Amino acid sequence: MKIKHQLAIFNALSRLLLVLGLWLMLPILVEKVVYNHINKSLLEKKQKFIEHLDKEEINDFIVRNDTSETYSSFSTLHSEFLSLSRVPSNGKINQTLFVTEPRIIEDERNDYKILQYYFKYENTNYLLEIGNSLSEINDLTFVIRLFFIIVLIIIVVITFLADTFYIEYLLKPFYKIIDTKIRHVNEPESFDHTPIKTHSKDFQELDTVLNQMMDRISELFKKEKQFIANVSHELLTPIALLKNKFENLLQNESLDDNAVDKLVGSLSTLDLLKKIIGNLLLISKIENNQYEANEMIDFDVIITDLVTDLQDRIDDKKLSFKKKLEHHCSFRGNKTLMHILFYNLIVNAIKYNKPLGTIEIKDGFLHGNYFLSISDSGIGMNEKQQQNVFKRFTRVSSDQEGQGLGLAIVESIAQFHRIGIEITSEINVGTTFLLLFPNEEKIN
Amino acid sequence: MKILIVEDNPELAIEVKEYLSGSGYICKISKNCEEALEEINSNDYDIMLLDLGLPDGSGFDVLKSIRKTDSKVAVIIITAQGELEDRIHGLQLGADDYLTKPFALTELGARLFAIIRRMHGYTVNQLDVHGFSLKLQDYKVSYGEIPINLTKKEFDIFQYLVLNKNRVITRLQLTEHIWGDILEVNSDSNFIDVHVRNLRKKLDKHSPIEWFETVRNVGYRINV
Repeated sequence: MKIKHQLAIFNALSRLLLVLGLWLMLPILVEKVVYNHINKSLLEKKQKFIEHLDKEEINDFIVRNDTSETYSSFSTLHSEFLSLSRVPSNGKINQTLFVTEPRIIEDERNDYKILQYYFKYENTNYLLEIGNSLSEINDLTFVIRLFFIIVLIIIVVITFLADTFYIEYLLKPFYKIIDTKIRHVNEPESFDHTPIKTHSKDFQELDTVLNQMMDRISELFKKEKQFIANVSHELLTPIALLKNKFENLLQNESLDDNAVDKLVGSLSTLDLLKKIIGNLLLISKIENNQYEANEMIDFDVIITDLVTDLQDRIDDKKLSFKKKLEHHCSFRGNKTLMHILFYNLIVNAIKYNKPLGTIEIKDGFLHGNYFLSISDSGIGMNEKQQQNVFKRFTRVSSDQEGQGLGLAIVESIAQFHRIGIEITSEINVGTTFLLLFPNEEKIN
Repeated sequence: MKILIVEDNPELAIEVKEYLSGSGYICKISKNCEEALEEINSNDYDIMLLDLGLPDGSGFDVLKSIRKTDSKVAVIIITAQGELEDRIHGLQLGADDYLTKPFALTELGARLFAIIRRMHGYTVNQLDVHGFSLKLQDYKVSYGEIPINLTKKEFDIFQYLVLNKNRVITRLQLTEHIWGDILEVNSDSNFIDVHVRNLRKKLDKHSPIEWFETVRNVGYRINV
């Protein structure tokens, strides 16, 4: 998962959790605030009432209600009431209490927050009760809760979107670094040292470090290239010298057969040495990206040329050669290298074949990818041999000539061109090398 | 024919000189760019063998300087860096041919023959050996007036041996000449034998070919 998605999900979840928490705590908070407010206003009312209290007024209250010894008054909607009653004396004189109780006023039952105040006035004990209806408060709580949740959800959505865009903006330099400096870069020539524009210090640092790394890689590439050039010159010159010396010596009529044999043996050893060096240099150069891959390659032409060149070998083993290339696939790569690749594969198909065997080259599509397969009816390989076949200096059988570099070169060339190789082989039945070409190539 | 060998390895230069002198060329050796330029400016040479890796510079520079003058010397570049780009670069700068180290001296001989033939405007179009004529333009061989049907490879082998007449040519040298510088160690020498056998059979029909000698374990020689 990408970091921007992870951050977005984290932000959304954490905010939702916050909203949920507030949603659950809201009633408690509201009640606390509102009750506090009610208590305060009740106390104020009590204070007012007590201040203006005199005998006349009490009598006024009581007289109008002489039946019940209680006076009460209430607002039209029963949201508030006030009552004063005589009570027998008790120990609660001058105490103020708050209670929440249901009361029935004019046959309507409601929950009230009630302030109870006991006091003594001219030797009579009174109880003053001031109540405030809670039903309204409950309604209000619900409305507040609804409003609250809507606002919160809107905030969550807006901040989520803002976050996502901002993270995207922040991470843009990061993806640019990946694209321009790493993903599409294969060889030091295409290294891009232009600094990436970013306000994040982290990415500036990443960019700098990557640039330094590219410098180091370029340096190494350069050194290796130099090394390869040195090796070619310093090793191949003495070989050339020995080779020419032996060739000149060979023309000497006075040499006996024994000496001639030794000279010829030395010449073929030199030839072997030259070819090993040549092959190792070839692999190094491929891996060092010293080849360009911008030529249009026609497989049919390459294979036809090779087969013409190798015809006498094919005839020698009386092999039947079949080429069935039905799709005209154009591939961009290095012609010399592709030539070597097919040469090595076809030579192997001949070398490890049985007399009167077959070699078949086919093409087609596998999972949408163009493929070319080279099959022989030869001695085949077991699992272990198949695993080792691309390792340098390994040979399928010791009685075959060769230095065991042919398939190592094939592998290097294939990797260079991003061609996949699959081997299927069965002992005494044959071997098939399947070359799977990358998809981005155009197929006509 | 005068040849200037520009090569910093003295022993190698001597070996090349020995071979070329044996073929009737007059040779001189230069060890570096400076000597080479001096020599080419003060004496007339027909052909220059130019090594690219010289102690005081690149052979390419020598080539560039020479091509600025009106010297008509043919240049064969010799290098250990058998890179295609180098080859193209050399030919663009006006080199006539290109050989990679290590090369067979007989291969050098064949290349020289081709260059000289070109320098003389292809006036030499035929090689004659014991009554057989090799027509170089159309790759045909005839005995007197009778045409002999040879394959391309048989013709190449015949021509190579005739060009290097009186020398033993090893199977390896022939292989390299016919199949090029293939980077695989192979048993191609056997295939050379097959081609030579066929060639000899075809020639033998017309005239005894005791001059076409098989040198035991080594290769072949055409004596003239």
